[in-house]
Order: sequence, then C-alpha cells, then structure tokens
Amino acid sequence: MSVLQASGVFQPGVIDDIQTKAASGLYRIRGYGTLRERRWATFDDLTFLPCSLTRIPLEGYREKCSTKTVLGTRFAGKPVELDIPVMITGMSWGALSYNAKVALAKGAAAVGSSNTTGDGGMLLAERENSRTLIYEVLPSRYGINIHHMRMADAIELTIGQGAKPGTGGLLLGSKVSDTIARQRDLPIGVDQRSPARHPDFLGPDDMIIKVEELREATDWQVPIFIKMGASRVFDDVKLAAKAKADVIVVDGMEGGTGASPAILQEHTGIPTLAAVCEARAALEDCGLYGEVQLVIAGGIRDGVDAAKAIALGADAVYIGTAALIGLNCNRPIHVEDYHQLGTEPYHCHHCHTGRCPVGITTQDPELMRRLDIEEGAARVSNLLRAMTLEIQMLARACGKSDVHHLEPEDMAALSMEASAICGIPLAGTRRVFGR
Amino acid sequence: MAEIDCGARSTREINAELKQWIQRGETDIVVRHPGARHNLAVAILSPARVRLEGSAGYFCAGLIDGPTIEISGSAGWGLAESMMNGRVVVEGNAGNGAAAAIRGGTVVIHGDAAARLGASMKGGLVIVGGNCGYMAGFMAQKGTLIVCGDAGEAFADSMYATTCFVGGRIADLGTDAVLAEPTAEDIAFVDDALAAWLPPAIRGKRPPAREFRKVVAGRKLWNFDHREWKLWQEAL
Ligand SMILES: Cc1cc2nc3c(=O)[nH]c(=O)nc-3n(C[C@H](O)[C@H](O)[C@H](O)COP(=O)(O)O)c2cc1C
Ligand code: SF4
Repeated sequence: MSVLQASGVFQPGVIDDIQTKAASGLYRIRGYGTLRERRWATFDDLTFLPCSLTRIPLEGYREKCSTKTVLGTRFAGKPVELDIPVMITGMSWGALSYNAKVALAKGAAAVGSSNTTGDGGMLLAERENSRTLIYEVLPSRYGINIHHMRMADAIELTIGQGAKPGTGGLLLGSKVSDTIARQRDLPIGVDQRSPARHPDFLGPDDMIIKVEELREATDWQVPIFIKMGASRVFDDVKLAAKAKADVIVVDGMEGGTGASPAILQEHTGIPTLAAVCEARAALEDCGLYGEVQLVIAGGIRDGVDAAKAIALGADAVYIGTAALIGLNCNRPIHVEDYHQLGTEPYHCHHCHTGRCPVGITTQDPELMRRLDIEEGAARVSNLLRAMTLEIQMLARACGKSDVHHLEPEDMAALSMEASAICGIPLAGTRRVFGR
Repeated sequence: MAEIDCGARSTREINAELKQWIQRGETDIVVRHPGARHNLAVAILSPARVRLEGSAGYFCAGLIDGPTIEISGSAGWGLAESMMNGRVVVEGNAGNGAAAAIRGGTVVIHGDAAARLGASMKGGLVIVGGNCGYMAGFMAQKGTLIVCGDAGEAFADSMYATTCFVGGRIADLGTDAVLAEPTAEDIAFVDDALAAWLPPAIRGKRPPAREFRKVVAGRKLWNFDHREWKLWQEAL
C-alpha cells in the first residue's frame, strides 16, 4: 500500500492560495475573520475558579446577579445604560443587508442592548428599531449626517478594526447596488476602497480636538467611544484616553469583517486576549481604569469568552460574527448556493461576494428575503439572552452578585503563554510566568 | 443683529450662546475675538448668518446644515468638514482638510488652502481663490472643486466622480487623475461660480474660466483589474 505524503509547507490551502493569485494578479480578499488555526493564547487558555470553601457561591438559580452595564460615565451627560454587557458591533449597511441590520437592531433592543451603525451611515429603520444606537464616524465618512448623529445614543470614532488595523474599508462592486451607491455617494458597482485615515485629522493631538467637536455637535450629552484595531494597544489606549474618550473599544486580531485582504486578517494585529490585558494595563497606568470604560471585540463566541474578557478588565463585549451566525450564517440550508460559491456550510467566508446563501451579507433582494426580520430578531435576542445567562452562571459560581465584579483572580491559566499575557498563575502552580 | 464677544470664554459657552441666539430667531450674529479657538460654530442647523471677526481654529463650521458662516481671518484644519448644506466663506487661508467629506453646500476660501482640500467630498462646491496644497480632492466622490491658483502634488488622487478645475499649474496629477476637455457648460459653470463667490479683486488676478483645466477620474481604479497593475501598485 502506498502512503500519501503531503508537504508540511505547501499544504492544500497554500497551493490554492498561490494558484488563485497566479490567476488573478491580486491578493486575496474575503470576509469573516481569521481562518488560521489559533496557536496563540486565547480565552480557552483560561479557566474559572468557582467557589468551594475559600469563597461562597451565589445560588445559581435564585440569587440576583446584576448584568446592568453603564458606559460613558466620564464626560457624557447621558451615559449609555444597557441591561446586559453584550452589544452588537458596527457592521455596515452595505456589507450587511437591510434585513440583517434591522433584525440586529430589533434583537438587541428586545434584551436592552445596543447596536452600532457602520461604514455606510445610519439606516432610519435601524434607528427606529434600536433601543440604544451607537453612531460610527469612520475615515470614509460615507453617509455622514449630522441629523443622524444627533439621533444617536453614543458616537464611535473609529480609527481601525481588528481584522485590518491600519487600512480602510472594502466593499466589492457586487454589493455596491444602486441603493448602497446612493447612500455612500459612490458610482454604482465600483470596488469601493475607503481611506485608512480620517480626512480632517491625523495624529492623537488632532484627535483631542476632533473629540471635542463631536461633543459640541451633540451638546456634550452622549458618550464618545474611540474604536481601534489591536496593534500597539498599550500606547494607543493611553492616547485615546488622553483624547478624552468616554469609552475605548479594542478589536483584536480575531475580529470579523465583511471584506478585507486575507493577509491582514491572518497576519496583522494582536489577539483579543492579549489586547484586553494591554488595554487594562494602559488604563491602570494612567489612573483611568474604571473611569474610562473598555469594550472588547474580536472572536467573542459565547458567554464564556465574554465573562473572561470582563474578568480581565472589559466593561462589555461587542459581538459581530457570532451575531451573524445567530442569524443563520454558515447554517446548512440552501446548501446548493454554498456550493455555487465553491464552499460548504460551516466553511463559508464568502461575505465579500455579495452572494450570501442565507441573506445576511448581500444586497440581492432575492437572497435577502431568506432572512426574515422577525425570526432573525428573535434569534439574535435569544443568543444575547443565552450569552448573558452563561456570564451570570460563571459569575454566580465565583460568588459575584454583579458580573462586573469578575476579576483576574477568579481564573487560572492553562498555558504558560496565557499566564504570562494575563498575569494569572498557571493552574497547579502559584507562579505567573514571565514575572 | 446679535453680537457675541468671545473674550476669555470657552468654546462650549460661545457655541451654546450662538445656538441660543439662533433658537430665539436671530438670523445675523457677529462673533468677535474668536482668537482661533477650535470647534467654533459646529453643527449649526439653521439658515442663520454667522460672521467670525478674526481667525478660527480646527473644525470651524464642521457638521453644519444650512447656515452661512463667514470668517474674516483664516481657518485651521477641517473647515466645514462633513457639512450637509450651507455656505462657508473664509477671507484668509484654510488649513489641511478644508471641506473634507462635505455632502453639499459651498465652501469658499479667498486665500490658499493647505493639504487634502476636499478629501472624500461627497457633493457640494469648493472654490479656492489662491493655491492648494498636496492631495487635494483625494478620494473625492461627487461635487465640484475649483482651484483658481496652483494645485500641489498628487492632485485629484483616486477620485470617484468629483470634477475639478484648476486655473494655475498642477504640480502633478494623482493616481488615476486625468485631464479632460472642458465643455461649454463647464466653462459657463466655472465662470458663474467665480463671479458669484469671489470678490472682483481676487477674481481679476486669475485666468478666465475658459483657461481652467478640468481633471476627472480615469476610472481605472474603480474596479480591480490586474492589467492595470502598475496603477494599483501605487494606489494600494
Ligand atoms: C460583516 C461585517 C461588517 C463589518 N463592518 C464594519 C464597519 O462597517 N465598521 C467597523 O468599524 N467594523 C466593522 N466590522 C467589524 C466589527 O465591528 C467588529 O470589530 C468585529 O466584527 C468583531 O469581531 P467578531 O466578528 O469576531 O465579533 C464588520 C464586521 C463584519 C463581520
Ligand atoms: S453564510 Fe453569509 S454571512 Fe456567513 S460567511 Fe457565508 S456569506 Fe458570510
């Protein structure tokens, strides 16, 4: 019997990559987020240490455990008050269909959470169906509208995203339909590449003035978030805090995207676990931990990841891809359409094509109809409810009457890397590695 | 006419008073001693006339919809950024990113504009009586940009559907920017715009509208195409 041997270097994915580029002359573009096998430390490298004799748990099914989350207590007249610490992240109308945007808004509102606009401006139906809406101000300024900004409950000034820090947005021509083109003031069908820098400010000192402008524009009422992709998080978070952000959003390298060059998703930025630790250290270093709230994003899958992020210092988490999966992304329905894209359910990352088999990342009216708004909203709110129950379960087991009381001391590290990154002793030892 | 003296007051106080006057129905307001403060007259959403007697700092008249804002001195970065509609007239010079991301309205700069004038503009009309710095019109999407004097490097780089006119020299065209033949309507449009918006003393120093050069997007960056690799290499 012959034994087949494949190259450890030129594996099937690498061969496909080389041959695709040889045909197209262009780097690869796709959606979804990193496809790399995660060999770096993740939230899975941490475990909770529930109460036994040294600490007393709360009755899991009876005693209260608060999930109330307040963001923007530093300068805003009206901080954002949420019932749960899991929020829906900014995903553009353009990358997402109308139905997906409205379903996310309704789903978040039903459980007292928030949703965020995205790189294409606000959809009126999104505002009407949101309880708390965060308005993103991005470098492209597509759809920028002061009236929409003033309808929002918070402003998010976006410097970058975890999937592609340091670069601008991308929306391929198949998704620049006449409606989206009108909304963004673009010619129909262009492969839209948006700028990496804001058009009216560059560095952190200018940003201080920009933040003040946004406050003046909204009468100092709503919180100003600053969102960044995770690269030099320790320094960048300090600069955002210095710019008087109320809330800082750090999006790790696992962060999802509607479309980006694949190499940026795989090889830029630092992982979410490392990002939350650096962000907390930065705020502690400048004495602003607790005063400036921290929102963490990037590959958050469930209440466990969220609880660990909170224990490490986040006030809330953003979910993007998980919410889309809740809406049926990668579900084995309409399987023939996945095949048409050259993929299978559970393996799809083809959001950039605009041919989403389940109607989420498309502008095609036929495909969009596959996503029923009410059904989708119910699924999103169920997912948010279940995630919240998971966070509460872990918090109660650790003896906390408020999920925000979770702390690093409630966890042990399962790898030396996680121990070194998080400053948490390795399970079975009393040692923090690297110290 | 109402008057606001900035004196030693904060931007927040000055803007609050400005908005109060407008709310009370005042349509003509003079702001004295602005002292180049940042963020003056931001997000004014009614058609009042506000005249700043002096210079303004960053983001003056940013995010407005409807008013007429005049600045007798110069303006800092991000003048009128993201304006929806209205008129902004600067009698001196303007800093980087003037008229960035505007969606409508008119921005007039009697003097010079610095870098990235009209970057990402999405509509409206921008007129510069003097010269402009590098990367004017960068990734501009719609609307019209008129520079009566000289234009700096990388002019009109990576544009979508903005139309530019330049009266003086262009240091160099940006990626995918091309010269086009102005039509009779173009010439009439430039002529009318300059007559309407620039004082005769400035207008008189500049060439006639028919001598302005027209710059538009070559559209080679609108869609990915490996045959245009050289162009993409510069743009990506
Ligand atoms: C389909 C899609 C569209 C997105 N659009 C935007 C956007 O318009 N603006 C933005 O700041 N981030 C955008 N993002 C990134 C998210 O806001 C967020 O940072 C990221 O999805 C978090 O990672 P997760 O998807 O693993 O939860 C998008 C993400 C996805 C999946
Ligand atoms: S199913 Fe749709 S949303 Fe999910 S990865 Fe595929 S194209 Fe993207």
